[in-house]
Amino acid sequence: MAEKDLLFEMREIEKVFAHVHALDHVNFNVRRGEVHALLGENGAGKSTLIKILTGVYPKDGGQIFMDGKEVEISSRESAAALGIACIFQELSLVPTLSVYQNVMLGKEIAKFGIVNAKQERKQIQDLIDHYGFPVGANDIVETLSVAQMQMVEILKALATDAKLIIMDEPTASLSSRESELLYKIIHQLRERDVSIIYISHRLEEVFNLSDRITILRDGKNAGLVEKEHIVPSEIIKMMIGKEVSEATASRELKTSDAEPVLTVKHLTRLGAYNDVSFEVKRGEVVVLTGLVGSGRTEIVRTVYGADPYDSGEILIEGKPYQPKISRSVATGFGLIPEDRRTQGFSPLLSVTGNVAVTNYDKLSKSGFVNKANENTLGHEAVRLVDLRPPNPDVQVGNLSGGNQQKAVLGKWLTRDLKIMLIDEPTVGIDIGAKDEIYEIIERLSADGVAVLMVSSDIAEVLRVAHRILVMRGGKITKEFNNGVATQEDILMASSGFAAEEGKEADA
Amino acid sequence: MSDVKKSGFDVKKLLTNSRIIVLIFLVAFLSLVTGGKFFTYGNFVNILYSISLTGIMICGATFAVLLGGIDRTVSGNAAVCGAMAATVVLAFGQTTGGAIAGLFAGLACGIVSGFFHGLVLSRFAIPAFLLTLATNEVLYGIVQFITGNQLINVMRCDFMNWIGENRLLGIPIPVYILAVCFVICYIVLNHTVYGRYVYATGGNRQAADLSGVPTRRVIVIAYTISGFMGALSGFVMSCMNKQASAAQAMGYENDVLAAIVIGGVSMRGGSGSLQGAMLGAVLIGVITNGLQLLGVPSIYHNLVKGVIIIVAIAWDMLSAARKSGTATNPFAGLFKSKKKVTA
Repeated sequence: MAEKDLLFEMREIEKVFAHVHALDHVNFNVRRGEVHALLGENGAGKSTLIKILTGVYPKDGGQIFMDGKEVEISSRESAAALGIACIFQELSLVPTLSVYQNVMLGKEIAKFGIVNAKQERKQIQDLIDHYGFPVGANDIVETLSVAQMQMVEILKALATDAKLIIMDEPTASLSSRESELLYKIIHQLRERDVSIIYISHRLEEVFNLSDRITILRDGKNAGLVEKEHIVPSEIIKMMIGKEVSEATASRELKTSDAEPVLTVKHLTRLGAYNDVSFEVKRGEVVVLTGLVGSGRTEIVRTVYGADPYDSGEILIEGKPYQPKISRSVATGFGLIPEDRRTQGFSPLLSVTGNVAVTNYDKLSKSGFVNKANENTLGHEAVRLVDLRPPNPDVQVGNLSGGNQQKAVLGKWLTRDLKIMLIDEPTVGIDIGAKDEIYEIIERLSADGVAVLMVSSDIAEVLRVAHRILVMRGGKITKEFNNGVATQEDILMASSGFAAEEGKEADA
Repeated sequence: MSDVKKSGFDVKKLLTNSRIIVLIFLVAFLSLVTGGKFFTYGNFVNILYSISLTGIMICGATFAVLLGGIDRTVSGNAAVCGAMAATVVLAFGQTTGGAIAGLFAGLACGIVSGFFHGLVLSRFAIPAFLLTLATNEVLYGIVQFITGNQLINVMRCDFMNWIGENRLLGIPIPVYILAVCFVICYIVLNHTVYGRYVYATGGNRQAADLSGVPTRRVIVIAYTISGFMGALSGFVMSCMNKQASAAQAMGYENDVLAAIVIGGVSMRGGSGSLQGAMLGAVLIGVITNGLQLLGVPSIYHNLVKGVIIIVAIAWDMLSAARKSGTATNPFAGLFKSKKKVTA
């Protein structure tokens, strides 16, 4: 227990919300200069624990130690004074200000209210150089990439001499290359004795980065694992309390011989994708994979009618099709958009309100809504996606990420679908809900719906795909349609190493 | 399973609505202190009469706010309609036929204006506040052009006088007009597909788009309704005043917006109701009426109204923050002394 290099320790932390133990005697500690991951499904207590240690919530019991001394964290300010900083999922930068102005915001170097910009700039540039971040002190924040903005957030923490930095889903909105950059920076921080609490749904990165992993389940400690003893299946078992199939390391693929529902021929949209041809057959799940920005999302949006295209042809059941959203909905398309929060649902509307939007062709008569049918549909959708809580009257904004996505799925499941377009359905969703969403996709396919899905999560690709199309730089560079595909195969193909047919990597 | 809820009238929900509580409290308070002058049928009719003009505007403007926009041109539309109608009425020698022609001419102005705003706002990412702030000025410019900055008297038009002065079963005609507008708009918002699309578009336009909702059309129709209601209100106002002026309805857009916001319609769109907005108007009407009955000099009315509106909104925000449990108390630290005792 009495480790010498312990920076931070929480002992027997308790938190009760309305008679429910959100945290039940949780222990958690962080060593100097370590990356300590906090794992758990949604609702396991991760965010409650983080909110207690950043001073957002008061604790109801237990003790907190910093450098061996007991401390009280009563507010964000007191957390910051102790050297605790948090990089939130939603970045809190002023987009129109420069990097150094953002970093110095609230702690400007000034005399009589006049800012010494020169000194500020130099100080921040020194800090940037010290850690080797790929940003400039003078860059305007809104011109930066998301990854660079995160670095500015990290700089903000470092400028206040933070000893403990909390990163909550930092890679959720990063491409793989940007993620790599972040990993590098995490390593640099660790070498300079900064401790990091790392929260992420991407298990591979957690396993690669962490020195230790604390697992929470239902508000209790479910395990503490050292780097040497990380066994993925064991940890997943600790998280969800049950076994999951290990069948996602590879997958047996097969080409269906059913008739094609969607045929895309030589489709081109300048700057997005180029001369793309493929088909999706009845009951088939075709997955477009590859890096973010390789043109996958744009193809799906074009087929649906949300984006234009320059040339090429789209056929539905052999007949030429002019994509237009209202026509697509009427024809039997469904769409799970890339970002559910901005494109998928209305947070203030109930589940019924959200689900009904796509169904008024059946729920209305000469413009008037049949409320009884609307309610029935709400209940039906809740049942079809197994929504929790099973209440169609809750506002979708109040649901967990997984259940929000289920509500988006619910918009389409009550319809006679021909084609389901699904774009990154499980980003930021806990494992349990992920599995349920995969089961829904499998059900759709069994019902004869043609499914075209975009996914960057290789385990997910291998879990659901019948065929896999790998995209790179706007082109389909590889198709896996028969035999066994492994994680490695797909990674190689999407990163461009698999130039086996003598093609030069032309990107 | 949910048979209980189908009655549609939820007393418990009604009593947790802070606006209803405020209203009940205000009514009780005024009934006591005015010695029976407040709590009479006649006075209630007066209150409804006093809010009928803003009420008609609210019926339209609520659509814009539900879409996450705002329509400040309700007053400009009212002024243009009044001026247009009065001009036409005069041209026809203040006959009933002329009045009806004037009514249609005025309403047509409102529809065109609303259609234009809808068209622009549905296609360009211009903040509705800015656009309608500017176009409201344009509308008043047009009014000055039409009226030549003079009052247009329509005192001898029987049709307009009938609307402006008459009562049916003891209730003034403008109250009936408000009631009809309210019922129609209520039905549109709550029982039609279009109403659902308004909430969906206001709640998340991208999501609505991708669900196949014709969001551009939804927006155009909403502002057209708002333009129509503004114009109708302007016509009724001209009937009540027996004239049209270049400054007709000026400033009404603020009262309309205040009522909608007090009524709990979210300025970000997608949430709130027409009933709520109308309740906001009733609240303001009751307050004004109470002040008059209490003999408070009218120079204080705006002051008192403003303070009560601030209190109502603050209370609402506090209770919302308390309900969600996580929001920090906006008053925290406000009254703490800055001095710190150091040991």
